[in-house]
Amino acid sequence: MRKGAFLTRQEKSTGKEDTLREHDASARVIDNDQIIRIAFDESTSKGFEMLFRLYYQALYSHALRFVYSKEKAEDIVCDVFHDFWKSDSYSSIQTTYRTYLYAAVRNRAYSYVRYELKEERNMTGPESSEHISAENSPESIMEYDELHQRIDRAILELPPQCQRVFLLSRFDGKKNKEIAANLDLSIKTVEAHLAKALSQLRKVISGTLVLFSWLSQ
Amino acid sequence: MEESDIRNAVFDYFSGRATPLQKQAINVWLEDPSHHDQYYSWLHKWELDHLQAPASWQNAYARTEHRVTYRPVPAESALPPGNTGPWYSRGFRIAAAFVLLSALGISLYLMRDTILYTTVQATYGETKHTVLPDGSQVSLNANSSIRYARFGFGRGQREVSLSGEADFEISRTPDRKLFVVSTSTGLKVTVLGTAFTVFARPRGSQVTLRSGKVALQANRKRADPDIIMAPGDIVSINTAGELSRSHTSRPEHVSSWKEHMITLDRTSLLEISAILEEIYGFRVELKEPELGTRTATGMLPIQNAETALELVSDMFAIHFLREDDKIIFEN
Repeated sequence: MRKGAFLTRQEKSTGKEDTLREHDASARVIDNDQIIRIAFDESTSKGFEMLFRLYYQALYSHALRFVYSKEKAEDIVCDVFHDFWKSDSYSSIQTTYRTYLYAAVRNRAYSYVRYELKEERNMTGPESSEHISAENSPESIMEYDELHQRIDRAILELPPQCQRVFLLSRFDGKKNKEIAANLDLSIKTVEAHLAKALSQLRKVISGTLVLFSWLSQ
Repeated sequence: MEESDIRNAVFDYFSGRATPLQKQAINVWLEDPSHHDQYYSWLHKWELDHLQAPASWQNAYARTEHRVTYRPVPAESALPPGNTGPWYSRGFRIAAAFVLLSALGISLYLMRDTILYTTVQATYGETKHTVLPDGSQVSLNANSSIRYARFGFGRGQREVSLSGEADFEISRTPDRKLFVVSTSTGLKVTVLGTAFTVFARPRGSQVTLRSGKVALQANRKRADPDIIMAPGDIVSINTAGELSRSHTSRPEHVSSWKEHMITLDRTSLLEISAILEEIYGFRVELKEPELGTRTATGMLPIQNAETALELVSDMFAIHFLREDDKIIFEN
């Protein structure tokens, strides 16, 4: 890094130990929220541009942990930003922008997974449970992290070929026909692998669902 | 539990390595709602260190912005009215073309000395982006300029001279022509197709490579062997001509000025002052010399000089005085 490289020479001349101690004593971190507010002061779109710049990549990666699909993760994060923008709530949030965005993305990603994997789909649509502020207990915050870890583990434990088919289908959004051609399998086999992967995931999710509904009572 | 223990427990937890006792401790710690922001800030940091797939925030932003601001236009106003008025009349267009052509002719005549080269310049406080005839992209930081042959660019090698600081994304040509950047400080960077940042200012020179491979000729003496750089490599040359090499995992931070930001990573106030001098044309003075060794980490927006000065003063909890281009930082 340019800054680093020039700094190194300066450290040599001033005595390294002293300089390093000075770093720790006086190092300051610019608060992201301060930068974002400055951008919002200029205009709403500048403010959102800054939010995207600072948080989009990480939020997208986080959403992937739940939904394992590039397309869905992108939709979920963009929808959260879109609603945040449309509702004007960005001007009156009580938490930091980061806390708001992470809580909203996790909530929406979870709702989506539940909607997709829960058998009784007709009960609730994916948009129906957007109650971010209501879920504030330590358990409800941590449960999201338990959930994506469990999803990770379930996918890791799939047999290699099944895992490959699942990731090609979900993560890359490939069609069954393409996967069959790529991996030299019959379409029937591809379908069987996907069914197995989904049933494994469903077990993981339904275990968590019980806990979630118990928590929300 | 100490804050640092909680921090370690939370990071272990995110990675799925926390013990039941650690989880219990996190749970207790989270009962205080004032800790929630901290939890998400660690989650964000952990996520940034464990990114699962690349994404373009620019595309996502453009998509969302379009969705928010797009309003369908009513059908009757979608088409312009039949009579387009005098602005669009044929006579006007001919006259305009004539005026433009004569203006062009006069300018060509007046500028015949500079006609052989195209110069792109960014003045104090602005950055510029330009596309070279071969499709290569160049971003110029403030107070920087590049010059290249207007005619026959790339007939032999593709050659550009640089003074200041620029970021390059070089496109490959079918015949694999070399791209050469020569700097006012005597540096020569030779590449095929790659992305890198060159810094060539009075206080030193530096090349940072983001992707691909470049050969660097640091000295005017041809005898020295070229330095071959790999992605993430940084080669710096100070004013005495001494060379140093280092490596970064985030080479893109060096060119964050393209997005009107400076990435600070334990950057000293002394160096921040040098950057402010370079990009805004200030003369910066530190009233107490020991201020220079203080450091800061984070992103510093540089779109606006006044905001940048205020943020720097806030960060270091100091004051600044400004008389025209002279800036004094003091405790």
